[in-house]
Amino acid sequence: MRGDPFELGGRTFASRLMTGTGKFTDYGVMREALAASGSQIVTVAIRRVELKAPGHGGLLDVLDWDRLQLLPNTAGCRTAAEAVRVARLARAATGTKWIKLEVIPDARYLLPDPVGTLAAAQELAADGFTVLPYVQPDAVLARALEGVGCAAVMPLASPIGSGKGLRTPDLLKTVLDGAAVPVVVDAGLGVPSDAAQALELGAGAVLVNTAIAEARDPVGMGHAFALGVQAGRAAFLAGRMGVREHASPSSPPGGVPRLPDPEVPV
Amino acid sequence: MIVNGEARPFTPGLTLWGLLRDLGTEPARVAVAVNDDFYPGARVPDRELKEGDVIEIVRIIGGG
Repeated sequence: MRGDPFELGGRTFASRLMTGTGKFTDYGVMREALAASGSQIVTVAIRRVELKAPGHGGLLDVLDWDRLQLLPNTAGCRTAAEAVRVARLARAATGTKWIKLEVIPDARYLLPDPVGTLAAAQELAADGFTVLPYVQPDAVLARALEGVGCAAVMPLASPIGSGKGLRTPDLLKTVLDGAAVPVVVDAGLGVPSDAAQALELGAGAVLVNTAIAEARDPVGMGHAFALGVQAGRAAFLAGRMGVREHASPSSPPGGVPRLPDPEVPV
Repeated sequence: MIVNGEARPFTPGLTLWGLLRDLGTEPARVAVAVNDDFYPGARVPDRELKEGDVIEIVRIIGGG
């Protein structure tokens, strides 16, 4: 939206949609879907080189990183120490200091460890990283993460890859209330209306991967999410109406022309 | 020593460059850690390795 830039980590972005690069069937579809999404912040993962089959081409070569902010994640890390180590490898591999911090001990729901996340965030922020931690929608934790110097907080909408959408909007509101850094809703968004809902509530941005990558038409869905995010943000800026318990007619109640009806007393 | 989580016989005199060459790893587009020292692939020093060194060689892949 013109005149409404998204500021994060000292940079300014026109788009409020971040997109992941996992699960796409091929690089061509991924590149087109990313272009259709308008995303300017793109997440990637760090993995060991397969020693028995080295020499794979890289994701780094297929996207235009002069135009995109690279956001490596620490997915797969179960402890703070692992995440700090992977963040340092990510910085060495990419040259960027941005890191999406994930400390996830639980494989079933992929829910983050708040204690380990805070410890890792503190160490990485002190080391000069631009830290974007993936967390539960917990306002107390969010304030603590701001306190140690995180550039944003990234509360989940629902479990990673579940597509269930925003399951705890009231908790998200508590995170948004008084937040000093951008709040980026990450994980679980399934359709553009989920993204719109997050932006309507005041989230600064959303991060989407599976919903685009696993759509029947990932390019079309990338475009659809771009629209959802724009609609949600526009609605937030415009200010929603109040919610009422009972109906309130939109047309004036008086002066309705009536047919003569002997059974209804006038 | 341990390379990407797997034990590997240590050869006296082996350097980091020598190890990467033996593994067939193209240094550009990777990052290397030797214990707690982290290096961009393009700026890996030719340091001598020691028995018991823990080495990680990583790259970027698709992810969220």
